[in-house]
Amino acid sequence: MTASWKEPDGEKFALGSLAEQAHWQGEYRRILEAARIADGGHPGEAAATVGRRLPRADVLYKVRGRARYVANVPMEGALHCRFVRSPHAHARIMAIDTAAAAKASGVVAVLTGAEIAPERLLVGTLTDDTPVLATDKVRYAGEPVVAIAALTEAEAEAACHLVAVSYQELPMVLTPEAALAPGAAEIDPKGNVIGDLRHEKGDLEAGFGAADVVIENTYRTEPIEHAFLEPPAGLAFVDPDGVLTVMVCTQYPHYHHRQLARVTGLPIERVRVVQTVVGGAFGGKMDNTVECAIALLALKTGRPVRMIYTREEVFVGTTKRHAMTIRYRLGARRDGRITALDAEYLADGGAYRSYSLIVGGRAVIHTGMPYNIPNMRTHYVVTFTNYPPSGAMRSFGVVKLAFAIECMMNELADRLGLNPIALRRINAYADGDRTGTGQTLLDVGYLKTLDAIEPIYAERRRVLEAEPVREGRKRGLGIACLGYGIGYSGTRNPSTARVRAAADGSVTAYCGTPDIGTGSDMSLAQIAAQSSGIGLHRIRVVSGDSTKTDDSGPTSASRTTYFSGNAALIAGQDFKRQFEAALARALALPEDQVRLENDTITARNQCLSFEDACRRIAGEIEGICGYGKFDPDIAVNILTFKGNPYPTYTYATHLVEIEVDEELGQIDVVRCWCAHDAGTVVNPIGAEGQIEGGVAMGMGQALWENVVRKDGVIVNPHYRDYLLPGAKDVPLEIECLWVASKDRTGPYGAKGVAEVSLIPVPAAIAGALTDACGVWPRRLPMAAEYVLRLVRGRDGRPLLARAGAEGRGLR
Amino acid sequence: MSIEITLEVNGRTHRARVEPTTTLIEVLRETLGLTGTNKDCGMGICGVCTVLVNGRTASSCILLAVQADGERITTVEGLEQDGHLTPLQESFLRFGAVQCGYCTPGFLMTATALLAEKPRATRPEIVDALRGNICRCTGYKKIVEAVESVVARPS
Repeated sequence: MTASWKEPDGEKFALGSLAEQAHWQGEYRRILEAARIADGGHPGEAAATVGRRLPRADVLYKVRGRARYVANVPMEGALHCRFVRSPHAHARIMAIDTAAAAKASGVVAVLTGAEIAPERLLVGTLTDDTPVLATDKVRYAGEPVVAIAALTEAEAEAACHLVAVSYQELPMVLTPEAALAPGAAEIDPKGNVIGDLRHEKGDLEAGFGAADVVIENTYRTEPIEHAFLEPPAGLAFVDPDGVLTVMVCTQYPHYHHRQLARVTGLPIERVRVVQTVVGGAFGGKMDNTVECAIALLALKTGRPVRMIYTREEVFVGTTKRHAMTIRYRLGARRDGRITALDAEYLADGGAYRSYSLIVGGRAVIHTGMPYNIPNMRTHYVVTFTNYPPSGAMRSFGVVKLAFAIECMMNELADRLGLNPIALRRINAYADGDRTGTGQTLLDVGYLKTLDAIEPIYAERRRVLEAEPVREGRKRGLGIACLGYGIGYSGTRNPSTARVRAAADGSVTAYCGTPDIGTGSDMSLAQIAAQSSGIGLHRIRVVSGDSTKTDDSGPTSASRTTYFSGNAALIAGQDFKRQFEAALARALALPEDQVRLENDTITARNQCLSFEDACRRIAGEIEGICGYGKFDPDIAVNILTFKGNPYPTYTYATHLVEIEVDEELGQIDVVRCWCAHDAGTVVNPIGAEGQIEGGVAMGMGQALWENVVRKDGVIVNPHYRDYLLPGAKDVPLEIECLWVASKDRTGPYGAKGVAEVSLIPVPAAIAGALTDACGVWPRRLPMAAEYVLRLVRGRDGRPLLARAGAEGRGLR
Repeated sequence: MSIEITLEVNGRTHRARVEPTTTLIEVLRETLGLTGTNKDCGMGICGVCTVLVNGRTASSCILLAVQADGERITTVEGLEQDGHLTPLQESFLRFGAVQCGYCTPGFLMTATALLAEKPRATRPEIVDALRGNICRCTGYKKIVEAVESVVARPS
């Protein structure tokens, strides 16, 4: 069974002939330069680009339909892979019979977990606990058991139905409460608890003793699907040099690289992971999905193997945001000062560990954020259940903490008769404050975000009171705030970058953190241009190829602008220094008389173009490599959670205005103002895009999105029943307010913005619902039936509490 | 049982033999190699695979190839003319209406159809036209603004 195939060229875009490439590069440069000038840039300052509104290079190819997502990578003769998935949530595998499938039309290879050596079978993130293919038992409905490679997708799918797996069903464990109950069926050999994390600060009982008011509430959130529009997909082949190459849409190519070497048994230098253009990720493309199975099948068959999940598989076979129960007890003095917070979390971790401990650690560290609470106790428990694993998703769970603490703040304001903004001011973190982990905060822009929102809040309050609202509808304003740590929690996570030039004047910046659609490559290019003095139009960013870049961690945790941006900044400076020195030697001038600035070289009395300068040092130029590494010293004791978990924090306050139809229980978000301390904004177009997209995603979680699970299966595994926000749902009036802020440790003062835009959204809508209808939501999503239940007074506090004396609070 | 069909795609006539169950997107992507049209839900809900059939939008993942026999199809690859982006494509680039880009071809086709029918489309008409396309990255604001900027252009 031989088939000829040609190795892909490795380009992320279908670039076309050299003439076409030159033409479109010219078109892009024209559009880029026009945008730079339109945004106030000067014609002679092609390198000064940080802070400018600039269009992205990759988008030119995306609007032309030339982006090579995995499904679009040309590869004739590639086999198609499909999984046989478990129909049971919890069952022992008694036997797997693949004989009929192996003989089926078009089938080239069948793979079971039994063919993988036990020490290579398990993969994971912090812990290797997830079999590439299940061997002795399945832990959720949808877990892969057998992989089949066939000539066509239809043949692979048909053969899957010929595989006979006999199961002996085990008792299902479907909630964390059930997982913890005595005598519960054991999901994992080490027990049903994934993590039990505790943290204390101050003296909790003394804190409650000093309180005039104590509020205790329980909040509940449901699992959320990332709903990146491009399903997980990969293409694996062995290249002519014998290197196993896996092209995949991922947030972390180096993670897969190490994992693939271990699972296949190949030396690390015989593996290459090439990140393709990624069609959205949001934390959901950091776990193994297709990678290991297609790699093993490519090695087994000697042929390229491609696999693309169906949308239903995305729902049943990939990680979700944790469902969580949060119980908070909050104590405060009459003047509004919070004295104590007792926090308990119970999270549903699903069938395997994935990022559960990371989400838990972040929850412990962020409890109470962004408020300076002197006495706290935090207890976080996450358990296994027989549902798909819960993993990383935009904000690593902090969105749920914000929902709980901000609802509590609104209730506290109501109880004390304080303005909600005033209450937040009283408790806000400021420069020099120490967090629960003992870290001293610097460059805290939180109060500035409140300052930005307060006058808008007052103005909208006046307008809402003056303007009549349609009958049957109510209007409300809600605010919510956050503080969020940038990067890994308490573990060093360095990023590196390299800047090199060729004799023709083209420049490439290499960085390990891939662009997953956010435009991070553009931001890195802008930073490298600014620090090196090279014109932005020359710089091409190569990111996410595991053999061309160093492991710089994943693009996650809002870390790329800050970590990789710093690396790019240092690499650009290093390149500039080496380049000037080499040119000075070539021109026989002292080093301090050669300067690379604004894409031009000044050498004593003469000016050289960058291309001319590169030609002058043609023999040397390719030996110049500007290198930058950024590795802030962060560490946390994993038992006590004391230490400095993040190098910096970002802060925000959102204000939303909603209308509620009390007959239908429907909430319409009308307007939204988002004040952010993101430090310096590198490219405002991209940053606004993060905010606007975060608002939309946050609205989804607030109002509609819910992975509904019943008896061990997901009952709404498609967009028809899992409702995503559409163009008619999301307000066009979303205003981004960047407060004046510079982080002393960030590249040109930048912090990061990607996740934080989502975090306050459900909380702000919940606050607005309270303001509009006098009800106190305690669950997400605030779907119509839940809102109706609240409005009809069947849930939560008695209706319209605010009509009484306590009601001044939210006014 | 295969059936021969004729499609005019982006101004070129193609003949193809298809099964009765073959969808239009399969012909476009696999037979004609036009991979600019992406696929997601396979149920005609997300709008990712939107193409134009005789100038009107259609979900190519649920339109059978035989239903498109003899029709004029436009895909994202057919928008640019003589090496120039259409004003709509350029405005998507300038306004930052694209992040991951997976939904972009579908949005471009929907907006192209709208502007052909209503060159002076109002903001509510634009939002209404885009209701069948999902974008998970941008929050829609920049997409609507990009379309609006083309409307506002004096003809």
